[in-house]
Amino acid sequence: MSFGIKRGVRFQILSESDLDRIHWGTLHILEKTGVQVDSQQCRKLLKDNGCEVDDKTRICKIPSHLVEEALSKKKSSITLAGRNPKYDAKLDLNHSYITANGNGAVAVEFETGKRRPSTKKDVANSSKIIDALQNVHIHWPMVSSTDQHPSVVHLHDFDASLNNTEKHVMYETAVTISDAKDLIEMGYIAAGGEKEYRQRPLSSCLQCTYAPLQHDAGVMDASLELAKCGVPLVFFGMPQPGATGPMTLVGSLVVGNAEVLSALTMTMLSTPGAAVIYGMGNAPLDPRTTIRAGGSPEHAISSAIATELAHYYKMPSCVGVSATAKEPGDQAVLEYYTGCVGPLLAGADLMCGVGLLEDSSCLFYEQIVVDNEIVGAISRLIRGEWADEDTMALDVIEKVGPGKNFLAQRHTVTHMRTELFMPNLIDRRSFDAWSGSGSKTLRDKARDKVKDILANHSVPAMPADVEKKLLGVIEKAKKPMWGGETKRT
Amino acid sequence: MRHETNGFLSKQLRGDEIPEDRLGVTPMEDAVTRLRNAVINYEMETIADLAKQSLKDGVDPLVAIEKGLAEGIKTVGEKFGRGEIYLPELVMGAEAMKSALAVLEPAVPKGKHRSSAGKVLIGTVQDDIHEIGKNLVATMLASNGFEVIDLGVNVAGADILKKADETKPTIVAMSALMTTTMPRMAEVITPLKKKDKKVKVLVGGAPVTDTYAKEIGADGYSGDASGAVDVAKKLVR
Repeated sequence: MSFGIKRGVRFQILSESDLDRIHWGTLHILEKTGVQVDSQQCRKLLKDNGCEVDDKTRICKIPSHLVEEALSKKKSSITLAGRNPKYDAKLDLNHSYITANGNGAVAVEFETGKRRPSTKKDVANSSKIIDALQNVHIHWPMVSSTDQHPSVVHLHDFDASLNNTEKHVMYETAVTISDAKDLIEMGYIAAGGEKEYRQRPLSSCLQCTYAPLQHDAGVMDASLELAKCGVPLVFFGMPQPGATGPMTLVGSLVVGNAEVLSALTMTMLSTPGAAVIYGMGNAPLDPRTTIRAGGSPEHAISSAIATELAHYYKMPSCVGVSATAKEPGDQAVLEYYTGCVGPLLAGADLMCGVGLLEDSSCLFYEQIVVDNEIVGAISRLIRGEWADEDTMALDVIEKVGPGKNFLAQRHTVTHMRTELFMPNLIDRRSFDAWSGSGSKTLRDKARDKVKDILANHSVPAMPADVEKKLLGVIEKAKKPMWGGETKRT
Repeated sequence: MRHETNGFLSKQLRGDEIPEDRLGVTPMEDAVTRLRNAVINYEMETIADLAKQSLKDGVDPLVAIEKGLAEGIKTVGEKFGRGEIYLPELVMGAEAMKSALAVLEPAVPKGKHRSSAGKVLIGTVQDDIHEIGKNLVATMLASNGFEVIDLGVNVAGADILKKADETKPTIVAMSALMTTTMPRMAEVITPLKKKDKKVKVLVGGAPVTDTYAKEIGADGYSGDASGAVDVAKKLVR
C-alpha cells in the first residue's frame, strides 16, 4: 500500500479569477507597502537585487518581477524522506499527508492526569505513538523538552524524535543561525553524511513569519542557512483575521501570502531552487475570549483557500489545524474534524497537525489516537469515486438479480477492504454487546491503544555511534543563555 | 467612517449613557459626560477635539480623566466582560481614551497625579516580536483602570530594568511567545527584584505555564488577557 492519502476529490472555493486577484493584490502590497525585514543580511540581499530598502524603518519594497522570478525557481515536487524509506512522503500535489502538531509546552501525564510542563520523555513517547499510527505521516516534536537546559531544548526535541520514529521529522522554527547550524549538523549525522542528507532529507523546518508583514531577523537568517544546507523549509504565515490581519479571510490570506512570497523571494535569491513549501494557518482571534480560534470553521476554510493559492503557484501546501478544547472529548473531536475536513477536501498536501489541545499547547497522548481515527474517516471522504466496469459491477448485478443479496460475491470480497473505512475507535456494535464489554467511550479506547503502543511498539533506535554524535552536538551547543549573534537593528 | 459604523448607535441613547440634555448640569459636568460618552461610543477620530475643547472651557483635566475617560472605559470593559461587545470594540474604546489622554495628561498640574488601580510596565522580551497578546493585556489593564506603560516588543532586559527604575511601576508584565525566549523573563526578574523588593512581576505567553512562572520567581501568571487583569488586581491589593 502506498504511503499518504491519494486524493480523488477536490472542492473548489475560490475561482481562478479570485486567485488571480489575490496574487496581483499581494504583489501590489509587496511593491507599495512592503514588508519589514529585521535581518541586515536579508535587507542587503534585497537591496542588491533592486528592492527599495529603508534601513531605518527596515521596510523593504519588493518589485513584482523579483517575486515572479522566485516563483519560477520554486520546486513543485518535494520528498520529505523518512529514516525508513517506506515512510517517504512525496509531496506531488496529488497526495495528502498528516503531520503531528508541534511545540506545545504542557503535557498531561498519561497515568495521573496531572497537567505539567512537558519533558523529553513526552517527546519520546509521542514520537513512538506517531510512529505506530497509520494516518499520521510526518512527525513533529509535539512538545518541548522543558526539563533540559534552556539553550538546547530544541536539539533535545529533535534527538528524542529521531530516536523514536522512523518517519520524517519536521521541527518548528529555528530562531538563530547557530540554532540552525546545530539542527543541520544533527540532520547530517542522522542521515549518514551531508551528501546522503541532501539526497534524502529526513528532517525539515517550519519557519513562521510574523503578521502583519514582518520577518524576524533570527528566523530569516536561520532560514537562509537551512536552505543553503539542503533542509526543506515551510514558510508559515499566520495572520489572525480580525487581529493581525484583516477581518475578512481573503484579506488575511493576502497578508499571509505577502509574508510567504517575500520569504520565498529572499530564499530563492540566496539559494535558487531550494525546497520551499507554502504554509499558512490563519485562525481568527476569538473576539470574546481573546484566544486564537484554532478549531474554528474559519481556520479550516482559511487553510483550504491557502491550499488553493499554493496550488495556483504549483507549490505544495502545509496548512494548519488545531483545537481549543481543554481535554479530549466531544469538543476536541468536533474541532479536529471541522479543521481537517475543510482543507483536506480542498487538497491540502500537508495538514499540520494533530494531537495537541489548547490551540497547539497541551499534549494528551490519547488525542493523537483519536485524531488518527478522524483522519482515517476523512481519507475515505477524499479518496474519490469513479465509474468503470469494475466499480459499476453490471455483471454482478445481473448475476445476483432482483431480491437476492451481494454478500457471498467475489466482487464484494475483492472490494470490501478498500471500499470501506474500518474504524478502530468508533463502536458499531449493538448496545448489549457494547455495554457487555465495559461501555467504553471513544476516549477509553484511545487510551487502551496508547497503553498498547507504549508497551509493545518498538522503534529501531539510531545506531549507538550516531546517537553519541547527536548528543555531542547538543553538549557543544549548550551555552549560558541565548545566542545573540544576530544583529537586530 | 465613524458615521457609517456608529452613526445609528450614537444617535440612540444607550443604557449606560447619561443624557446630555438633562436639566441642572454644570458646564463642567456636561463636558465630562461628553468625554465619557465619547469613549463609550468609540469616537477615536473626534475625541481629541472634544478634549481640547474641554480644556478651553476650563474643565479640570484631572476630573476629565477620572470622571470622564476612566468611567467611560470602565463601562466599555464591563460590557466586554458581559459579552455584549467584542474585542475590537473594546480596543476602539481604549484607543479613544488614549487619544484624549494625550491631550489631557500634559495639562494636569505638576505634582498632581491621576489615580489609577496601579502602574504597569509591559513589554515582549528580547528576541521575540510577538505583539498582539501583549497589546491585549495592555488594553484590558487600561480598561480596568490601570496606568499602562507599553515598551513594545523585542525589549532588551536592560531596557526593562532601566525603565522600571525610572517609572517605578507597581507591576512589571512580560510576554514571551516562544520556548526559546521564555528564559529572557527569568533574566529580568532576578535583578529587578533585587533592586526593588516591592515590585510585582506578571508573566504570560503561549508556552508559559503556572509552574514555569513560579520557577522563575514571577508573582503572577495568566493564560489569557482577561485573567491577567484578575491577577493584576490581586497583585496590587
